[in-house]
Amino acid sequence: MSQLREPAFDRAVALVLRIGAFGCFFVMLAGLIDGWFMTGRIPSDIERAGVLLMLATPVVRVIVACFLFFREKDYKYGWISLGVLIILLLGSVFGIGEH
Amino acid sequence: MTFLLLVLGFCAGLLGALTGIGGGVLLTPILSLYFGVPIREAIGTSLVAVITTSAASSSIHLQRHTTDIRLGMTLELATALGAGVMAYLVGYFNRNFLEGLFAAFLLYSAIMILSKGGKVKPEDESSPDVNADVVIPPYEPKRYLLGLSASLVAGALSGLLGIGGGPIKVPVMFIFMEVPLMVATATSNFMIGVTAAASAMVYYRRGDILVQVAAPLAVGVFVGSLLGARMAPRIHTKIVVYLLVGVMFYLAGHLTLHLLKGLL
Repeated sequence: MSQLREPAFDRAVALVLRIGAFGCFFVMLAGLIDGWFMTGRIPSDIERAGVLLMLATPVVRVIVACFLFFREKDYKYGWISLGVLIILLLGSVFGIGEH
Repeated sequence: MTFLLLVLGFCAGLLGALTGIGGGVLLTPILSLYFGVPIREAIGTSLVAVITTSAASSSIHLQRHTTDIRLGMTLELATALGAGVMAYLVGYFNRNFLEGLFAAFLLYSAIMILSKGGKVKPEDESSPDVNADVVIPPYEPKRYLLGLSASLVAGALSGLLGIGGGPIKVPVMFIFMEVPLMVATATSNFMIGVTAAASAMVYYRRGDILVQVAAPLAVGVFVGSLLGARMAPRIHTKIVVYLLVGVMFYLAGHLTLHLLKGLL
């Protein structure tokens, strides 16, 4: 049996990705325009926010999918999503290794 | 420099959308060779562009309902783990080793594309109509263990080189897991965002994402890939692919020379 064809589910996840991509685009664009008027550019807080927004988008996508799976009582995939989320968050905790 | 980065991102996004080869494979060596960005920072920075591309294009695939979210999520367990662990290990790698590895990877990808006669994208991918009703035969993914192991490797490569890893995930899902090609392509695209994010967070924490480079790059990539997706049906992809292969050979050669110069 195919696991596809759940329009509402697909739309919700697509919406998260689109908001993330467009949001990030406009935030970074604002950062660039802001930077254009300054000489000796330093990374602005606006640009940093744009990058962080982009990094957060896939995480939010996993959270939303996890929530939707549990709401559909599809526990197997709910737990799998939660596992992916934990792995993602671990990556942001153990982000060291400089030498 | 900001303007050049915008143009670079635009070109990479355009080529990526036209050919199905992600921009990451071009961005990392170009940043490192022509923008003076050290290789590890180049990898981390191009990961941001990879996430941008994935988010933009996979939202289109999701609208067509060709993405298998359950399969994608399951395999993401492995890709995210591989990517996160490898991104962490990269912090202890020698930079010359990374450069050599990247040159080898570029060479390998270019040869692989040539050996397939310039075909990198499944035919059905080029359907421009978002609302077209796609008919997908019922299927059940098989051999999950094999799929998960391959995804672990794909994730590790992504964390190591700052690439999406589509060329590994798509054949694994299509050939071994017996998933229709259209679904495999869409699902791979869907997974790339989470895979790249798992390693990008590690790179970010280490300070290996240069924000002032990533921002213009991502803006350019975003516009380029949207335009490329619209142009794709009207362009002879083969010519673009050969152009891309040429660029890849050139970059691999330059990277090798750069590496040798550094060693001598």
